[in-house]
Amino acid sequence: MITHSDEGPDFDPDDPLTVILQPPAEYLGAPPGRYEEIRRGASRRRLLRAAAGAALTCGVAALVVLPLHLTTAGRPASPTVPLAPPPASSRSTTTPPSTTAPAPVTPSPSARPTTTPTRTPGTRTAEPSVTSVPSLVQSAAPTGGATPSRK
Amino acid sequence: MKRSREKAASELFAALYPRLAGWCRRLVDDDETAHEIASEAFTRLWARWTSVAEPRGFLYVTAANLVRDHWRKLERERRAVRRATTEAAVTPHPEQADPSVRLLVQSLPERLRVPILLHYYADMPIREVSVLTGRKEGTVKADLHTARELLRAHLRRSLDHTL
Repeated sequence: MITHSDEGPDFDPDDPLTVILQPPAEYLGAPPGRYEEIRRGASRRRLLRAAAGAALTCGVAALVVLPLHLTTAGRPASPTVPLAPPPASSRSTTTPPSTTAPAPVTPSPSARPTTTPTRTPGTRTAEPSVTSVPSLVQSAAPTGGATPSRK
Repeated sequence: MKRSREKAASELFAALYPRLAGWCRRLVDDDETAHEIASEAFTRLWARWTSVAEPRGFLYVTAANLVRDHWRKLERERRAVRRATTEAAVTPHPEQADPSVRLLVQSLPERLRVPILLHYYADMPIREVSVLTGRKEGTVKADLHTARELLRAHLRRSLDHTL
């Protein structure tokens, strides 16, 4: 074997270790057909590796693309946003019950008058009578307990 | 292109295989295992031909790893046999032609084994060993020195034992 020049001073040629560490080169010829066998094995392995690489790439691409696709596919489901205007129109149709709230506000005075006049002409007359006829209140005051209870 | 690559592969095989297989033979028990390891190293080399810059170094490092795996496997088998049968019934393996080399190198810690195998048995200069192992040249020299000291002590012990 080759004697290296960079081994250092502790490598004595008479050292038994030198004999062991520097054995004569040994050669072992390749059996017939071994070269072709190795080449076939290597190309098969290369193919496998390429296939595995392609599969991995496809997998990664699918992992990246699928969520994107799903989110874009999910968006059409959210066109609830475009549906927003229809709720506005349907609200107008549905809101009447809710808008009746304001409506009743206005009608209520009118309705009350319409209903109350028929119902309680007496009470109505009592209210106006409160404003218009202090004398009546004064007359009611003697009944007394009613006025504090009203207030 | 393909033909020139094939020719280069064939030349590389002719130049390196006998030596690599011989190197493996020194470290394992039989010719067949040595051929298997050398063939596997070449298969791995050509399976990634484009990405290997230094084929010789790659071959020897791969073979060294395969030899180490082979040793581990043997050791596991031996332990299993020992467990299965009584220790006395187990005769030691028939030793190979040059057992001292393997036993000595096997006695080294993993870290020191590869530089010894590459430097002394594969004739690689320290610079190349340092590139292959990813260690600095000074570190490789120190590792080789430590390995030699360990081997020397081991050898002395075994000589004392025989005397």
